[in-house]
Amino acid sequence: MSKPLISVKDLSIKFNTDEGLVTAVDNVSFDIAPGEILGLVGESGSGKSVTAKALMLLNPENCVYGSDSKIIMNLEDDEIDVFSLAKSRDKKVIRGGAISMIFQEPMASFAPAISVGDQMTEQLLIHSDMSLARAKEISIEMLERVGIPDPAQRFGQYAFEFSGGMRQRAMIAMALSTKPKLLIADEPTTALDVTIQAQVIDLMKDLVKEFHMAILFITHDLGVIAQTVDRMVVMYLGTLIEKGAVRDVLRNPGHPYTKGLMEALPRLDDLDTPLKAIAGDIPSPLDRPSGCVFNTRCPVSLGNECESRIPSYTTQGDEHLVACHLMEEGRNSK
Amino acid sequence: MTKKALISSRDLSVHFPLPATRLFGPKPFVSAVEGISLDIQQGSFFGLVGESGSGKTTYGRALLRAVPIAQGKITYTDENVSYDLTSLSAEEMTDYRKRAQLIFQDPYAALSPRMTVRDIIAEPLEVMGLTKSREETDERVREIAAKCRINLEHLRRFPHAFSGGQRQRISIARALVSNPRFIVADESVAALDVSIQADVLNLLKSIQQDMGLTFLFISHDLSVIAHTCDHVAVMYLGRIVETAPTRELFAEPRHPYTKALLSAIPSLDPDYAGDVQKLEGEIPSPSNPPPGCKFHTRCPHVIDICRTEEPRLSKLGFEHDVACHRWEELVDPSE
Amino acid sequence: MTELSSSGANVDQKLKEAYFTASQGQLIWTRFKKQKAAMVGAAVLIILILSGIFAPFLTPYDPTITGRNADYLNGAPNVPNFCDDNGCSLRPFIYSHERSRSIKTNFRWVTEIDTSLEGRRYLTFLPQGDSYTLFGLQFNTHLFGVDKGKVHIFGTDSTGKDIYSRTLQAINTSLAVGTIGVFIAFVLALMIGGVSGYYGGKIDSVLQMITDAVRTIPTIPLFMALAAFIPDTWSSETRFLFISIILGFVGWPTLARRVRTHLLTERNQEYVLAAQLCGAKPGHIIRRHLLPSFTSYIIVDLVISFPYMVLSETGLSFIGLGLKDPVNSLGVMLQNVTSADVLLNYQWYFIPVFFFITLVLAFVFVGDGLRDAADPYSDSKK
Repeated sequence: MSKPLISVKDLSIKFNTDEGLVTAVDNVSFDIAPGEILGLVGESGSGKSVTAKALMLLNPENCVYGSDSKIIMNLEDDEIDVFSLAKSRDKKVIRGGAISMIFQEPMASFAPAISVGDQMTEQLLIHSDMSLARAKEISIEMLERVGIPDPAQRFGQYAFEFSGGMRQRAMIAMALSTKPKLLIADEPTTALDVTIQAQVIDLMKDLVKEFHMAILFITHDLGVIAQTVDRMVVMYLGTLIEKGAVRDVLRNPGHPYTKGLMEALPRLDDLDTPLKAIAGDIPSPLDRPSGCVFNTRCPVSLGNECESRIPSYTTQGDEHLVACHLMEEGRNSK
Repeated sequence: MTKKALISSRDLSVHFPLPATRLFGPKPFVSAVEGISLDIQQGSFFGLVGESGSGKTTYGRALLRAVPIAQGKITYTDENVSYDLTSLSAEEMTDYRKRAQLIFQDPYAALSPRMTVRDIIAEPLEVMGLTKSREETDERVREIAAKCRINLEHLRRFPHAFSGGQRQRISIARALVSNPRFIVADESVAALDVSIQADVLNLLKSIQQDMGLTFLFISHDLSVIAHTCDHVAVMYLGRIVETAPTRELFAEPRHPYTKALLSAIPSLDPDYAGDVQKLEGEIPSPSNPPPGCKFHTRCPHVIDICRTEEPRLSKLGFEHDVACHRWEELVDPSE
Repeated sequence: MTELSSSGANVDQKLKEAYFTASQGQLIWTRFKKQKAAMVGAAVLIILILSGIFAPFLTPYDPTITGRNADYLNGAPNVPNFCDDNGCSLRPFIYSHERSRSIKTNFRWVTEIDTSLEGRRYLTFLPQGDSYTLFGLQFNTHLFGVDKGKVHIFGTDSTGKDIYSRTLQAINTSLAVGTIGVFIAFVLALMIGGVSGYYGGKIDSVLQMITDAVRTIPTIPLFMALAAFIPDTWSSETRFLFISIILGFVGWPTLARRVRTHLLTERNQEYVLAAQLCGAKPGHIIRRHLLPSFTSYIIVDLVISFPYMVLSETGLSFIGLGLKDPVNSLGVMLQNVTSADVLLNYQWYFIPVFFFITLVLAFVFVGDGLRDAADPYSDSKK
């Protein structure tokens, strides 16, 4: 088995706030293989964005990483320990070099007063020593590749002259121009209309094949996950509660939260079953429940055990991990 | 049994002025909603779906007279009154406000942060003078809060104490406190997490049953609409392209846009190999709409007439209307 | 678990409940308390304001000509001692001095200080002295005085007036000018900015043009023109009021612009639309939704405007265009400071400057602290 492209081990992230030390992510581990699309699913407060930003060391100053946390990136000739990167010079490789990121709000990602073309060439010039002319050439090529008509003309335009879908494509073009090995996509289609969303997802899947790059696809939309990713990871309140191949997790969800999500989702292929809500509200990160983080809303909670002990991972099937006390010792009640 | 339409619009158009380019002459405008004729039956949970630029929010607000109407008529008829909403006297307007209310999309912006929950819910009662004493107001507030499953102890709290889902319930309570007949829910669950969405949707349905309300549910999410609404209208660039009872729309969509919209929704089945109709191109801007059928620039079945003439809504079945020049030919023989 | 943790949980619960039911004012106050600089500034400000209000009580003499000490012109500050070569005493004392001139001193006035035990003048507390009016009532008691002669802890000026008394009165005057000026500016700003922001459209454009025009009026030439216009027959009080009013009329544009911006943003909030959809009248919306929303910001603006008013008045009085003797303000007191004589020999004339630096800084710290604390809702947005 080849080495994973990026390996996250025991990632813990806390924030120093006025209210004290707040846990955003608690002991999360996952790997991404080269060329694989990994889906990261979670609702608000799940810590998914914070986790993604940690890969590029983009979290704010008041962020405290766990002492055991490790993020290792395996490039062709190099092994990079992300947390040991101190100087900005070294951090360049994970910021825009080997790892690129695209965001939910493309308007926020482009500077309004600089042309899109200039921002794209800036990206290239920072990460390589090519000439400006060559950078412009590559940028226009990328714009064409992502399906923007009239790329040479669009190169000189500003972000506000692009429509929402086109801006997202331009952002993908910009992120991919440095040929990263890993693309982190943080809710890239959430702000798009559904017909445009379909186009952008198709584009990303094509580019993955062509560039042989991996994608960490972050979203709360299980439908998008089902159609796009190979493997998926489910997070709730900073904890990784389920992990596995997308077919395994969606067809046989092991964790009560995943099951609850599937039951709460309106499905077009089943209009008769009423929507079943998950009881209660997502607790605030300031109020993290002890033991299993989901125990306050879990319909099959074992009471004291779930409130006091954090569940360990049980394997359900082929590399399908679930963090639930019910799964341990074969106590699966379903 | 013919049910009466609670709200009926005929050729409704809403125009928003654009900055004038010339000093004299006709002023430029954006047509947000153009020529909409729609009936919403009493007791219906009516879904209105569309993407950006479709005009669905504007239509909802036009029904509540929150935006000025350029052309057309809207009639509101319930057990007690019948109003022509395009020409209301001040008295009639005040009365209409009691009967028609709006639930907003953003639970964080819809509640005044400096008022307690009790005051927020009580405000419509106080403004419209619906109760005679403070005790009566408090009583009514408690009643509605309980219906919306708001903890009565939380009434003294301020909005910053609540999560998105809870705030939305407060929003709903505020809309219901004046005992309306008609509610416009404008993307009311779009800003909520999935696990909370189901909860709020179930609440809306149960309230509808309980209080016999009529809902206009505006959303861009077809799956949500499929599960909650009994009737759906699909809008594109300010026009209605198709309207039908929910089951029928999802089983037998007729308009190419509806078909594309349905197939663009990602299925939860990773191996789904259904008929996927991907649309090319972008949604045109409402300030620069294409001539003829507004959808022709992206339609896979476009012919010459589509580029020049706008199709009218034709009836093709019981309560199923579609606006397409070619709908008859495009019926899939396998259906 | 144990009782300790359950009571801990109770306290936690109470704190949370307090947070949930805290009104805007309470939230702002909590945030404000956390800022040390602002709290110190607030304390200093309160002390200075109280000093200004109770100036006649806190100072031993009348700050005008009537309270002057003709025997001690340009006198150095009398610093009270507790101990000296002749022993210590519980009561602080100063030395008596005598002014004389004779042939021996070439007919120059010379001050002799008597440092013997007999020369001691003990400070008295709560003595009767010059009468004054405070809150409409007449009093005679001052905080401290001296058993014989006069005590000048900041020294005296060229006419013998006690600088300490003048300083505290100056603080009072400057605060009064500031208050009147800010009040007038505020009322005008609320009216004009309010109408502009609430109605928008053409009314807004027209009012904005007027606002900008007033804002560009250069103040120095304006005041020079006014100084020429003010008849000498006006009493100092009238002059004082006039200057304050003019400062207000010149200062409203900045505040008006802020009010307008706040209103324009708040007007488009969804909860305003919700109220309108219930048929709420503009008055109700302004009262219940718009005003509370920017009260905190306006208070910040007011506090920050204060030092500008004080400094404007100081500057104008310094160059002779503002207040004049006998009305006291820092500017007036500094008018005499420009001669080399003073700079070299009578440095105590500058003592009031430190009071004013402190006053302005206190306002600025409090204003900054308020501004940081004034948006307690930014955390709760997703």
